Amino acid sequence: MLEIKNLHVKLEEEDKQILKGVNLKVEAGKVHAIMGPNGSGKSTLSYVLSGRDGYEVTEGTASLNGDELLELEAEERAALGVFLAFQYPVEIPGVGNMTFLRTAVNAQRKARGEEELSASDFLKTVRAKAKTLKIDADMLKRPVNVGFSGGEKKRNEILQMAMLEPKMCILDETDSGLDVDAMKLVSEGVNALRDEGRSFLVITHYQRLLDHIKPDVVHIMANGRIVKTGGPELALEVENNGYADILAEVE
Amino acid sequence: MAVVDQFEAKEGVDQETVDAVREVSTYKYGWNTDIEMEYAPKGVNPDIVRLISEKNEEPEWMTQWRLDAFARWEKLEEPNWAMVSYPKIDFQDQYYYARPKSMEEKPKSLDEVDPKLLATYEKLGIPLKEQMILAGIEGAEDAPAEGRKVAVDAVFDSVSVGTTFQAELKKAGVIFCSISEAIREHPELVKKYLGTVVPVSDNFYATMNSAVFSDGSFVYVPPGVRCPMELSTYFRINAENTGQFERTLIIADKGSYVSYLEGCTAPQRDTAQLHAAVVEIIIEEDAEVKYSTVQNWYPGDENGQGGIYNFVTKRADCRGDRAKIMWTQVETGSAVTWKYPSCILRGEESQGEFYSIAIANNMQQADTGTKMVHLGKNTKSRIVSKGISAGKAQNTYRGLVSMHPKAKNSRNYTQCDSLLIGDKCGAHTVPYIEVKNNSSRVEHEATTSKVDDDQLFYCRQRGMDEEEAVALVVNGFCKDVLQALPMEFAMEAQQLVAISLEGSVG
Amino acid sequence: MALPEVKQKTTEARLASLTLPEGGCLDAARHAALSRVEVTGLPDRRDEYWKYTRPDLFTQATAPVAVVSDRSESAIFDEFDRIKLVFVDGVFDPDASDAAVLEGVDVTRLADLKSRDDHWSKEIYGVLEARGQSPVARPLAALNTAFATDGVLIHVTSTPTKPIHIVYKQSSESSDAILHHVVRIDSGAQATILEDGPAAARFNTVLEADIADGGQLHMVRTQGREHERHAVTHIFSRLGKESVFKSFTLTVNGSLTRNEAIIEFTGDDAVAHVAGASVGDGAFHHDDTVFVTHDAVNCESRQVYKKVLRNGATGVFQGKILVKAGAQKTDGYQISQSLLLDDDSQFLAKPELEIYADDVACSHGSTSGAIDEEGLFYLRSRGVPVEEATDLLTLAFLAEAVEEIEDEDIAATMVDRLHGWLARRG
Repeated sequence: MLEIKNLHVKLEEEDKQILKGVNLKVEAGKVHAIMGPNGSGKSTLSYVLSGRDGYEVTEGTASLNGDELLELEAEERAALGVFLAFQYPVEIPGVGNMTFLRTAVNAQRKARGEEELSASDFLKTVRAKAKTLKIDADMLKRPVNVGFSGGEKKRNEILQMAMLEPKMCILDETDSGLDVDAMKLVSEGVNALRDEGRSFLVITHYQRLLDHIKPDVVHIMANGRIVKTGGPELALEVENNGYADILAEVE
Repeated sequence: MAVVDQFEAKEGVDQETVDAVREVSTYKYGWNTDIEMEYAPKGVNPDIVRLISEKNEEPEWMTQWRLDAFARWEKLEEPNWAMVSYPKIDFQDQYYYARPKSMEEKPKSLDEVDPKLLATYEKLGIPLKEQMILAGIEGAEDAPAEGRKVAVDAVFDSVSVGTTFQAELKKAGVIFCSISEAIREHPELVKKYLGTVVPVSDNFYATMNSAVFSDGSFVYVPPGVRCPMELSTYFRINAENTGQFERTLIIADKGSYVSYLEGCTAPQRDTAQLHAAVVEIIIEEDAEVKYSTVQNWYPGDENGQGGIYNFVTKRADCRGDRAKIMWTQVETGSAVTWKYPSCILRGEESQGEFYSIAIANNMQQADTGTKMVHLGKNTKSRIVSKGISAGKAQNTYRGLVSMHPKAKNSRNYTQCDSLLIGDKCGAHTVPYIEVKNNSSRVEHEATTSKVDDDQLFYCRQRGMDEEEAVALVVNGFCKDVLQALPMEFAMEAQQLVAISLEGSVG
Repeated sequence: MALPEVKQKTTEARLASLTLPEGGCLDAARHAALSRVEVTGLPDRRDEYWKYTRPDLFTQATAPVAVVSDRSESAIFDEFDRIKLVFVDGVFDPDASDAAVLEGVDVTRLADLKSRDDHWSKEIYGVLEARGQSPVARPLAALNTAFATDGVLIHVTSTPTKPIHIVYKQSSESSDAILHHVVRIDSGAQATILEDGPAAARFNTVLEADIADGGQLHMVRTQGREHERHAVTHIFSRLGKESVFKSFTLTVNGSLTRNEAIIEFTGDDAVAHVAGASVGDGAFHHDDTVFVTHDAVNCESRQVYKKVLRNGATGVFQGKILVKAGAQKTDGYQISQSLLLDDDSQFLAKPELEIYADDVACSHGSTSGAIDEEGLFYLRSRGVPVEEATDLLTLAFLAEAVEEIEDEDIAATMVDRLHGWLARRG
């Protein structure tokens, strides 16, 4: 599904290398987790994969099912199936959540040469999916993320994921700012979307999210590289001993 | 224009293809109607003024009123304080009166109107038929199932070609007709109100309009009547080298209500054309008027060639207590816009509102805003202005909020926001605030910024291309104003926002 | 283009009443300034830039009489260790002044340049003023450059240990002073300049401040309590890369005051804050006119102006942020607010933005109104008498402007002054 080879990235504005040779392969249907201390480059990886401005790839490649990602515009990557659940979902005043969703869904369908969804079909689908995420009609009417609580914003991200049906979902610190109940709700939403054709890259600080979204593979990232890879037990190790031991061991 | 011309010139290209090309080109209304016209000689002088008066079969007092205005106008100088620049206008090198030959004999009903003219309005999406206007998809659930009625007065160059639903309106006591008809049929009303809100001496363009206006709309809503449908005037400039000078007079008598819509388009031509209108609104006690405009005059091409010079004076006078006026405007067209729909809040507890979206792209220049003149006690006003600049355009908000000493306990709130798309355009804010009593409160806020990168990235990550993302974010930016429009207009305006910004990114 | 007749006459009459100082290295600058005045003419009420303030008393040939205050002027900065430079009726008084011996600072008297063929100030005198004449003409500043009879030229080469204090005194009720100061801050140096006092019956000052890369200039001035003073002042400031300019003005009463600040960013990453608190009573007309030009990347400007007006006083604010094409990442902020303590007072404002770059965040706000009734009630319900409560809310209203002063001791002095004004409740 996703294959990253020797990825080096620096910030465009300052001469600062953030990623220093990331290698990663996520197979179809699998859930990979990336853990690591602050400043290790986890969020940068998610932005570079989804095509945010401000980063310069100095070396390496990233592809999704054989399609090179790094040369594409953000929306082209989205149409190929890359979805980023933002750590801080952006507020867009004045733009209704529904309008936003419908525009996005139809833009992607158009890009893939599919028929646009009719207004009534769209409405039915959204309402059904929103219900399982406990998103009420009022939230759908309000402007995108404006005045949403932390939990509402994250649920809204998962609703978008459900509607857009991406292939490669990247969850950037989706657990941040969530209480236990909200985390459970969001995780259930994610788990419901797990299937053979869809992969996940879950970026998180803490093991607790991984109690709910069970990963197949866990990577530890530090200083711009993946320094250790293992099974779910690796996350528990971090939980119990912190990163220090692992980092010391690697060095 | 050039592109479309070429398509038309090619043999074997069917009309459908031509239309399709037009649809995708940025300005959808740039075609012209090939129709035999009758012109007054070029230029303006007392003879032309008399001729216009004569064509409209006006009484002597009206002719004299015009001639007085002309004498004044000759002594005035063009104002130059707005942040717009354009080549000097030769006022003698254009036509002041142009009417389709077929209008020589006034049609007695819509059935007698030249089919070519009817087709023109059909094509503009304003069918001159007495039919329901069906609402579109978005928000359709709020619309009555059978649609809504909108009465239309259609002004083509210098004359009104027809007004729909007149009979039905008459039953309710509402007079809705062309101003030329009103001068003939309701002289007592015209005499009483014309020039009382925008005096003949008001400003260069208003004075000029007073001398040479050829037609326009007239509305009178009698006491206590809620106008049973929306009224609208659609202005079309078609003839070349011809200025359009229309005059609109709306009177809402005590306790009445009317919602009035105004739309305008013109063909693409590479010489600029002048449009200088005056709108006067009188609102008596407890009456309310909503005046909405979607201004989509031809803006000129991307090099600033051609387009309409839109110099307009609009003013509402809230004469009675608790009178209300709401101006909403979506200004996307014109090469140059000079327009400040204003509110005189004379009656106690009267209210004025001004909602504006002004989009300037390519070489367009817009200098627009409002005046809120608080004279009465407990008056309220609200200004929400959203300016969007793109390309090499200049967009200025200019406004006045004035609290007179006697306007005790009055309130104003002003929010004016500007959005810049690209680094070649300009966005300017020039508010005047004059507070002369201390029980009134005035608040003014303004911001200028560019389209937020994070918002664009968020949209694009979800699959929208850049133009779509910009249009979405800009529509969100304009939301407060779009919401103030009647529903049919809101949808049109929303699409217009997107179309007006085409080519502004990337 | 010929000037309108009235304007031409006023200008000629005013020019005829003055003598152009001759000799020395500033001759060329003075003559150039004189022609600027002749081209534009002196301002009159028809000028848009003087829409809210009548300039007649500034342009008439003779100064309007202003009674010399018999109140012993409380020496506001006395508690601070500083170098004093004293002017009486616009003439430098060496006896009353401290010997300007301060390491890192060179002070020259403008009047002494008559006999000098060369001086560093030649590169600045009239130069910043001339730059500030576009896009809006400021003929009273050009008039000043041409005819200034005295002033100080301060060159700061390294950071001095104490502030420089310019003290103005008035002794004649018909004095008419034109003073012109120049300040040059060298790269990396920092200085504080204090200014206060009534100066003259009529008073026209220009201060040109050129701040080199990384330099800092802090200015705090007070304009005294005399009711009859007529003052027009201009500060022209040019900022180099990473430099800082901060200015605060406290104006208490005065018959007619127009303070203009013209700020120009020419180097990237610089910061300029201009602030003013003015309180006026009765026949008080106070005008703050500010023009900030961003012509560099990533600069920050702030304009904070607060006015408290009572007994028919008039407050005017005209402020503009101009962001030129290419001045990306500009952060421009402007706030002008007035508190009208009674129904006769008025506030007239024209806060403007003119922006030609897209990657900017500029905003302005302007409000006018009476004292917050709810706040007043809340304080009274807690036992605070109405007058004291009003004072408390008035000071709170002015606080945002006073907070622009970096030095806390000086800020405290300003608050004391404001207390004094409130205590003299009319």
